[in-house]
Amino acid sequence: MKHLSVVVAGSGQIRDVEIQPGTTAGDILHQLSLPDYLLSKGPNEPFFAAAESVYEKVKDGEKIFASTKAEVGAGVCA
Amino acid sequence: MRVEDLGNRPAPASLRQLFARVVRGHGPSTVVQRRQIPYWQERGWTQKGRTYNGSYQTPYGAFYGQIDEHRGGQIDFLLYNPSDEIRRHSHWTCFQHRGNDWYIVHMAKQPGDASSGIMTIERLIKEAYEQQ
Repeated sequence: MKHLSVVVAGSGQIRDVEIQPGTTAGDILHQLSLPDYLLSKGPNEPFFAAAESVYEKVKDGEKIFASTKAEVGAGVCA
Repeated sequence: MRVEDLGNRPAPASLRQLFARVVRGHGPSTVVQRRQIPYWQERGWTQKGRTYNGSYQTPYGAFYGQIDEHRGGQIDFLLYNPSDEIRRHSHWTCFQHRGNDWYIVHMAKQPGDASSGIMTIERLIKEAYEQQ
């Protein structure tokens, strides 16, 4: 069992969760009712895929971020 | 051997304090409250009305920027004087010059808030440097 503090980037609200081995990023977001969000360990770290197990990639007590999905690009660019 | 009873006298204050500490144990712990502030604020951006000013911060440097929130929910992310590394990134065509070295970053998918957009652009800048 590991404890995580999920910081919701937009509001700064911190949601504490407890995860077990095999818990995915999607499981956490679902539990927190944040369906349009992505999880990452920080702004300069890649996003966790929804089906990716988070447990092995975080330390107990670590702070991770939930931010809304965004993508640079438009019809005119790549 | 004769023993003379001299009566009681208070122990020295230092000994009394030490004894009291042992009996009392540790004092109650103080819970330190966590700051719950939006990412933009944590990263030092400032807000005036619907405009934010600050820097996109990456391991390769901080890049001055501005964010304009519009009433309809549209958020414009601007970057000042992008470096050569950013200009060589595959997404450079998504940067539109707005004059005076300011560039607006086109979003295919708009972030839901300014903080998420800052994180997205910080990732893009990091990627630009790591692709070199």
